[in-house]
Amino acid sequence: MDKPDKLAQVEQDVLSAMKKPGLGYLAALGCSATLFLTLLGLWGYQMTTGMGVSGLMNPVGWGVYITNFVFWVGIAHSGTLISAVLFLFRARFRSSFNRPAEAMTVFALLAAGLFPLIHLGRTWKFYYLFPYPTQRMLWVNFRSPLIWDVFAVSTYLTVSVVFFYVGLIPDFAIARRYKEGLAKRIYGFLSLGWTGTRRQWKNYNQLYLFLAAFATPLVASVHSVVSWDFAMSIIPGWHTTIFAPYFVAGAIFSGTAMVITLVVPMRKILGLGRYITDDHFESIAKILLFTSLVVSYSYIVEFGLASYSGNPFEMETFRYRALGDYTVMFWIMISCNSLIPLTLFVRSLRRNVKYLFVLSLFVNVGMWVERFVIIVTSLARDFDPYAWGTYSPSIVEVGITLGSFGLFFTAYLLFLKTLPVLSITEIKEHL
Amino acid sequence: MGNRMMFRDREEFLAALRNLAREGVSQKRIRVETPFYVHEVDEILPTTPAKVKNFALLGAASGTVTGFAFTILTSLSWPLIVGGKPIVSLPPFVIIAFALTILFGALSTFFGFLILARLPSVFGVVPKEEFGNAFVITVEPEETE
Repeated sequence: MDKPDKLAQVEQDVLSAMKKPGLGYLAALGCSATLFLTLLGLWGYQMTTGMGVSGLMNPVGWGVYITNFVFWVGIAHSGTLISAVLFLFRARFRSSFNRPAEAMTVFALLAAGLFPLIHLGRTWKFYYLFPYPTQRMLWVNFRSPLIWDVFAVSTYLTVSVVFFYVGLIPDFAIARRYKEGLAKRIYGFLSLGWTGTRRQWKNYNQLYLFLAAFATPLVASVHSVVSWDFAMSIIPGWHTTIFAPYFVAGAIFSGTAMVITLVVPMRKILGLGRYITDDHFESIAKILLFTSLVVSYSYIVEFGLASYSGNPFEMETFRYRALGDYTVMFWIMISCNSLIPLTLFVRSLRRNVKYLFVLSLFVNVGMWVERFVIIVTSLARDFDPYAWGTYSPSIVEVGITLGSFGLFFTAYLLFLKTLPVLSITEIKEHL
Repeated sequence: MGNRMMFRDREEFLAALRNLAREGVSQKRIRVETPFYVHEVDEILPTTPAKVKNFALLGAASGTVTGFAFTILTSLSWPLIVGGKPIVSLPPFVIIAFALTILFGALSTFFGFLILARLPSVFGVVPKEEFGNAFVITVEPEETE
């Protein structure tokens, strides 16, 4: 096949994913959408009945809702790492993963954004978080980490959406060429009338570079800010300086695992093996292994800091974490995040896509559990034994948690059928 | 309507473009459309660098200024001591200013791109002709200069 034919082949291969959906797809979409509708129903039930329907209590006022928030923001991170950071480092394998990873970032942030609202209880008061001129002329407290969160996460969502959209502009123009009637107009509209002139490409190239440069610091900053929601307090187990880098490494680790979870079935079902090769998966597996080692190192440092602190509350919190009421969760976390990923030192396992898929599921579970362990164990036993208590999530919280996965997968499945799943233009450029 | 050349091969396209440049055809008369960014085009037809970066700088700087001004002025408008911290607490305000630097910078770069690339283009939404994966050079007649 000569080069021009190869270019056309790339377009057809990627756009063929957008053909009429099969039964399997519709079933998956139906399940995800049902889970999301369950979330909405349970959320409505919680709003009308009150926060008593959740398992939240004294002293554990932050439970799985905040766990989910941290988990989903973390998932978003590797999308930015793959699309922006690897772009700046000129990593070629990026073009096989960047589009699904960017989509994942946006959808994970949508899921994350729900949880502070759900956790508020009186959701309709959410606008109190935004700085706006009130009748009383009182502004928000900019010294509060929760306000930093509002700025960090909303900036992250906006920049991620812009970056995702900008990457799609030339691909929308390609999709327009393959469509007829109304669909042609819609893709033409979304492409902003892109025709590939020299002026457009020259400015586009610089735009993409600068957006990547703007998005790159967000990889480090957003989860640092999320970690300060905890670290700025004086709760033992939270009040530690390692939290920001620890959270950032965990975020990239969990997000990379989620990329593997999403891309392995996508590659198989859509027949994209030619563009997403085992070499590419090996590169992603190396990122997973590296971040797993950083996370494991953070676990060790965290215990070390507590041991040498001379602070009995700190020391007891970490003993409790490993051996207390939540010991099972703690050891699941260690197994999934620190021990099982060590197998990636074996090259044949890094190149075994099925193995990577299973491993990524373990990491997803491990990273969710990690956030649960950090949040709940520290609150369950802080300073005063009189105020200790153990928490377990209620059925409403479990349903809402599953519903967030429903939202995420519904959005992702819709993405597969409506937008080009790989960056056609970039793949063509590298042919 | 100018003289149009279409190429399926990138190298042939670049060779033709080099010929035009060698013949001294004015850059203004040459219109190029490509399926992806071809950096050699800018070497053959040297032009001023894209100005999107100016929008990036302007946006980012205005974000930093807004971030500090907003936090400081609102804190001063109702001076309320919280947690024994100073009214103007710069360390936390840096976080807000940082977020706004990125936000304003990214949005300004995007809108700057739209202005400079002359997008959205109404005529391009459903263009009369599309060239697919062809590399196209159109040389406009001399009188349009």
